Amino acid sequence: MGSEGFGPRIAFYIGDIPVSETVTVTWLIIFVLGLFSILATRNLKKEPRGLQIIVETLVSTVNNLTKQNMGERNLAFAPFVGTLLLFIGISNIIGLLGFRPPTGDLNTTMCLSITTFVLTQFFGVKRKGIVNYSKGFLQPMPFLLPLNIIGELANPVSLGFRLFGNIVAGIIIMSLLYGALGGFTEMLLGITVPLFQAGVPAVLHIYFDMFAGLLQSFIFTMLTMVFISGAME
Amino acid sequence: MSMDMVTASLRLGLVELNITFVFQLINTLILYLILKKFLFGPVTAFMQKRENDIKMQIQDAKNLDAEAQKLREAYEAKLALADDEGKDVVKKYTQRAENRAFEIVKTAEAEVDTMKLNAHRELERERVKAVNELKGQISELTILAASKVVEKDLNEADHKELINKFISEVGETQWQN
Repeated sequence: MGSEGFGPRIAFYIGDIPVSETVTVTWLIIFVLGLFSILATRNLKKEPRGLQIIVETLVSTVNNLTKQNMGERNLAFAPFVGTLLLFIGISNIIGLLGFRPPTGDLNTTMCLSITTFVLTQFFGVKRKGIVNYSKGFLQPMPFLLPLNIIGELANPVSLGFRLFGNIVAGIIIMSLLYGALGGFTEMLLGITVPLFQAGVPAVLHIYFDMFAGLLQSFIFTMLTMVFISGAME
Repeated sequence: MSMDMVTASLRLGLVELNITFVFQLINTLILYLILKKFLFGPVTAFMQKRENDIKMQIQDAKNLDAEAQKLREAYEAKLALADDEGKDVVKKYTQRAENRAFEIVKTAEAEVDTMKLNAHRELERERVKAVNELKGQISELTILAASKVVEKDLNEADHKELINKFISEVGETQWQN
């Protein structure tokens, strides 16, 4: 803990417990998504209009994605899949509004990937039975058991670190860029107003926040579906 | 946000697991529950219901269509029948009317014939009557003339018959002209 580096700032304390901006931005996302959900589904009409079109497109996209990757009978996972997609997607692009993305915090990404891991193990055991599921770790050869276990444990780690790394890299590069642009302005024009910071970073924002961000949210969600449905088959 | 504030506010480590993990676990659960209850649940249910409704409506429409088709066929058959019946009726009544007209004409003709015959008979009777009258007068005249000639009053009753006989025998052919 310190005042340097790229870690999330502490917003406030509850007693001795530090609450970081990761948590407060997550609260903001929860609030916005909750408000959106309630407002958009308040008055559903048979002929969709306005917000309802967006909501229906969103929900049917998530439902279809779940159906395609996990099968018709696992449609109950759609809300979880949709939660991951929406939360990670919005977290990744919220940097555009000046907030620190919650997914740029290892705690968030590991929380999500460990949730996925737990669900994978739980539904694998539930669907196959503890014996059959455990036997899967002895395939194709019994002596591969340690490797299988390591492979299984590697999934949440790689899942969490991939997302975290992508987003935090974006944060670091963008803040370095802003710093450099400010320095350039001072050096070239001799004024303290960081003029070059306007406009120039937009291209990188589009890449890191929009493209990489949405891509990573999609990758995380897809892998989650693959892991869970893979364990159940 | 000024540089001072950024450096002043404490930061948690960049790569470390800490209490935030617990917060995020709870946050994720809350977000999941909210989205499930308010977004995915109702919208999926709504869309499912609408899909079923539309399916049902299409089925209903199909049923109605089939029913309408059946009714149309039935009505067409009925119409064809009615058409035939109408034609029959028209034919029948035309036939009847023709017959009636024929009858009327025939009756009229017969009547005309009768009337002609009657007229003819009447004429004949009139003629005979006229002839007889003439005959009577002639006989009277003859008797008058004869009595004048013989200066003697002939017995009218006695001779009238004689004279009539004579006239009818002799004069018949003459009156025929």
